[in-house]
Amino acid sequence: MLTSILNIFINLGRRILAYVYFMGGLSNLAVQTLFWVFIPPFKKNRILEQAKKAGIDSFPIVSLVAFFIGVIMALQTAYQLQRLGSEMYIASIVALSLVRELGPVITALVVAGRFGAAVAAELGSMQVTEQIDALETLATNPVKYLVVPRLLALSLMMPVLTLYADIIGILGGWLICVQKLGISSSMYLHITFDALLYKDLFTGLAKTVFFGMIIAFVSCYEGFNVEGGAEGVGKATTRAVVTSFIMIIAADCFFTALFYFILP
Amino acid sequence: MIFGKSRLELKVGIFVFIALVILATFVLLIGNIKTWASGYKVNFVFNFINGVKVGAPVRLAGMDVGEVKNINLIYLPEENRMKVNVVGWLRKEAIIPEDSSVWVNTLGLLGEKYIEVMPGKNYSRCLQENESLVGNDPIAMHEVAALLKNITDDLDQTIVKIKNAEGTVGKFISDDTIHAELVELIKTTKELVADIKAHPWKLFRKTKEKPVKK
Repeated sequence: MLTSILNIFINLGRRILAYVYFMGGLSNLAVQTLFWVFIPPFKKNRILEQAKKAGIDSFPIVSLVAFFIGVIMALQTAYQLQRLGSEMYIASIVALSLVRELGPVITALVVAGRFGAAVAAELGSMQVTEQIDALETLATNPVKYLVVPRLLALSLMMPVLTLYADIIGILGGWLICVQKLGISSSMYLHITFDALLYKDLFTGLAKTVFFGMIIAFVSCYEGFNVEGGAEGVGKATTRAVVTSFIMIIAADCFFTALFYFILP
Repeated sequence: MIFGKSRLELKVGIFVFIALVILATFVLLIGNIKTWASGYKVNFVFNFINGVKVGAPVRLAGMDVGEVKNINLIYLPEENRMKVNVVGWLRKEAIIPEDSSVWVNTLGLLGEKYIEVMPGKNYSRCLQENESLVGNDPIAMHEVAALLKNITDDLDQTIVKIKNAEGTVGKFISDDTIHAELVELIKTTKELVADIKAHPWKLFRKTKEKPVKK
């Protein structure tokens, strides 16, 4: 009886401590990375390599998802707006939701699932085969060598991918509205760009830089902290993706509220 | 053909370049290309603008030809009152003669406010850059309400009078002497007509009176 009550508290305490350790380790890694970003030498080629993996290789899946999201948004808003007889506002709803919210978040989730998982698995297997310790014995800082290129690549590529996602999503909405709902093409484009403001575009893009940082830090942290063998790598990959997803959505909520209040 | 390192650089470069092109397109389209289109600014001076906002459309003969760029209060010493100066941006082809009338109009009953310009006839004098046109004031809703209230008050008084059987109409409705007299009148008229039908020669009988001399 007493032991079961104690176990409840032990479990609770263990979870809280695990959370605190996680946040502490993540912050530690973040601070170290942000320090090493400014320390030469800058290995341009390593950054470009990661940029290709994070950006160009993610492009097909990001554009596919964004296209479908645009089509879905157009059909879904049409379902409601047709009752009110105001189909022409589909364009503005699709454009605003894509540029402000869906474009950045969908891109971040796709990149977290694709590139974040790859990073966690890669660094995790380096950790279990003690390659990271080997790097340290060769006087190479693993944070500088492994995390910094990934951070820079993601921070650069996330806004780029988001721009692609925005334009492809708008294209998807355009396709439905023009081909299926009988709205003229020039009317659709006019309403789209009439509804958008600079702040919509730039707050949407600014968020993605932070999403990129979240993906890089979480994935690298989970990769560095793999324990055990192949099984540990699998667990770390899962944790990296799940934690990235939660943190991206939470950060998006924070940024949306922030921009809503500071840029009314 | 390019290989190795520069091939990677080329790929990333093209990828980012296309994104920059998309960004530039977005920025240009959002910023509204017509900023570069040629146009001119004119001032519309109103006493009351009923809540027109910056960005509201300006319509010439019902067509959108520009928008409100700025709104500011000005003090006119000669008239000793504050006026509202609405700066409107108009496309170059939108020519406004100086005898045009301009007022604030509403889309629907509670819709968006916009500036309506009805072109005049004298095209020898047209508005140039930064010239002013004095606007007709829109009727404020409270004035309409006051007018309606006056009308209903008057109607109310009339109805009360009628109910109290005051005045001609009141008596007509409530007093049945008129009804009785009308019945009497119709009765006698019927008799007269019957009499004339029976003895039509009565119409041709010469009267004894002589015509009155002028």
